[in-house]
Amino acid sequence: MTRKPLMHLPPPGRPSRRSVLRRGLFGGALLALGGAGLLAARPGALVPLPPEGLRVLSPQEYAVLVAFARHALPNRPGFPTVEEVHLAVQVDRLLTRTVPGVAEEVKQLLGLFDNALTGFLFAGQPRAFTTLSHVEQAVVLEGWRTSRLVLRRTGFTALRTLVYGAYYGNPATWAAVGYPGPLEGIHQPDAPVYRGGKRANDNGAFVEPSNAGGGTP
Amino acid sequence: MSEGRIWTGDELTQDREVTCDVCIVGSGAGGGVLGEALARRGLSVVMLEEGGYRTRRDFDMREDTAYPALYQELGNRTTDDLAITLLQGRTVGGGTTVNWSVCFRTPTRILDVWRDVHGVEGIHESTLAPHWEWMERRLHIREWPLELLNRNNQVLWNGTERLGYSRELLKRNVHNCINLGSCGHGCPVDAKQSMLVTLIPDAVERGMTLFANTSARRLEVKGRRVTAVHAEVLDPATQLPTGVKLTVRAKVTAVCGGAINSPGLLLRSGLTGNGQVGRRLFLHPVVASGAFFDEPVDGFNGAPMSVGSHQFMDRGPGHMGYLIEVPPIHPMLSAIVFPGFGAQHQEFMSRLRHLNALIAITLDGVLPEDEGGTVALRRAGEGRYRIDYPLREHNWEAFRHALKEMARIQLAAGAREVLSPHSTPVVMRTEADLAKLDDAPYAPLQLKVSSAHQMGGCCMGKDPERSVVDSRFRYHHLDNLFVADASVFPTALGVNPQHTIYGLARLASGFVAGAV
Repeated sequence: MTRKPLMHLPPPGRPSRRSVLRRGLFGGALLALGGAGLLAARPGALVPLPPEGLRVLSPQEYAVLVAFARHALPNRPGFPTVEEVHLAVQVDRLLTRTVPGVAEEVKQLLGLFDNALTGFLFAGQPRAFTTLSHVEQAVVLEGWRTSRLVLRRTGFTALRTLVYGAYYGNPATWAAVGYPGPLEGIHQPDAPVYRGGKRANDNGAFVEPSNAGGGTP
Repeated sequence: MSEGRIWTGDELTQDREVTCDVCIVGSGAGGGVLGEALARRGLSVVMLEEGGYRTRRDFDMREDTAYPALYQELGNRTTDDLAITLLQGRTVGGGTTVNWSVCFRTPTRILDVWRDVHGVEGIHESTLAPHWEWMERRLHIREWPLELLNRNNQVLWNGTERLGYSRELLKRNVHNCINLGSCGHGCPVDAKQSMLVTLIPDAVERGMTLFANTSARRLEVKGRRVTAVHAEVLDPATQLPTGVKLTVRAKVTAVCGGAINSPGLLLRSGLTGNGQVGRRLFLHPVVASGAFFDEPVDGFNGAPMSVGSHQFMDRGPGHMGYLIEVPPIHPMLSAIVFPGFGAQHQEFMSRLRHLNALIAITLDGVLPEDEGGTVALRRAGEGRYRIDYPLREHNWEAFRHALKEMARIQLAAGAREVLSPHSTPVVMRTEADLAKLDDAPYAPLQLKVSSAHQMGGCCMGKDPERSVVDSRFRYHHLDNLFVADASVFPTALGVNPQHTIYGLARLASGFVAGAV
């Protein structure tokens, strides 16, 4: 497999190779690749969209995530499939709650995975990730995972963390790993919550404060 | 005295301005202790906490509930290159609500380094001891009994014994603990003596007002004084700003947001401390060694962290020392930390019940050339900081050494198979296999590195050109701004940090009160 190190590219709009590397994947040169260009515009393959709809991911990004997840979690007896746990939808929902900027970067990263230009530069493979066969995809993923470039390993790690976190956080997967789950009868969802806000009056009885202020108004 | 009140974001629907003696930003180990000590002196205290007010009502012992609700960035805080995962609390009680309940007094050798290298004055065992003793009584800090060790911790206990290595039972801040093993998800029975259930309610009873879901965004400075803390109210459900503003006008401000957020608030306020704010960030970088045993270990059950070994803390000049401890094992965090991908990863996960893990907590910031990492701001509107921590040769050497020794301990305790945390794991079945660790790659994201202890960023010291606060916890360049949390540590500790923060914050309370 031919690998052309990204750092040999002139990083668009960046002053030096050193600063580009320091900036890392997110916000750095690698994501800048996700933009224009003939190869970058080659379409990837879509998968059927979830009936519950998507909130953050585009159909294309969703297709990349599903493909990645199938490699991260191949079918195995006793383990629910990524489809059964609606894994990519879970990730989509998780991204609605992330701090500003994160969802955008994950979307860009998924775009980059499917970007034919990236595929060409890294693997001499000018086709979108989602259009490759399962075996070809595995080779590409291994390229990201074991790359000599920290930038690519970062991208791989980001997707791996999202997918494994969403999958094994789901109670439907616990039986597969022998985790019995939290002990029953311990958690009290109606436990009383201390808020303060009472004070003793002259008779020693507690009364609610008349003004809802903090400190000295 | 009238009792104070804990407010949450949903109740704060109108802009408001409050005045008080002391505004404390952050409710963790530093803020919690400081708030109580100041309220006890009769001062009016307002505390701001950007996390939510989550209590045992919310603590359902599930990872998928706990990480998004109780940790920074929904549990996804990392260095910029994702090479180091940072577990850091973000909730009322801060890290004390979600830590694994281990308390060490600060090692003397560390306090000596702070004095001799960083010019810290008046912070030593004799000045901290009365505060530690008070905290140990209040938080029921005591050694965890040998007969209650879970099997995960027994591996470290037995393995070190067979090798003749040092070992000790750890002290935990728990009371009526029923050994559930969910410390990291918030204690559902309030057994863990976190700030959430001890000093914060104590302080509120003494009049302190706590605003949860309230994020301090900027300190307003006039001349040599902080004149206001400007905060935004966050929606408890989304953690995003609601648009409601809170302004606190205090005689004195104490920043206790921890090692990432405290320097972050100062930087947002234009307080760079001559370029020192955000420097010397230390993480106690951690590597984990996994081992499979024939019999179930069930590392999700029982007190998670109760045995330690200081055998390799002092490895001589030029080498980082490390403390060996035991982490809890739950599926979600394990899956992320566990090595491998695809079918191999699944196969490991299928044996989760048989897994033991040891961790090596490496001591950073003590070698003369070790400056640790940095915290900086990103573009306006981004909810994250830029966190860099370059792993250097001394880090890799320590990781390699620690992985060998942890594997040795696990094999001595009867492990069938030991796995390194390399992206493609090294598998070891006998002592002879340990040499394979020498040939494995040591580079970012080829070896999983984590951090549960963030320190530094507002380093204490004598020289304003090399530090941010003085030995009285006061920001060098202002008269009424203090920092009292792990961010003031000039170095890491080599032990779990909460008790050091408690001691320092209680010591700091005298200086803060003196400035009112």
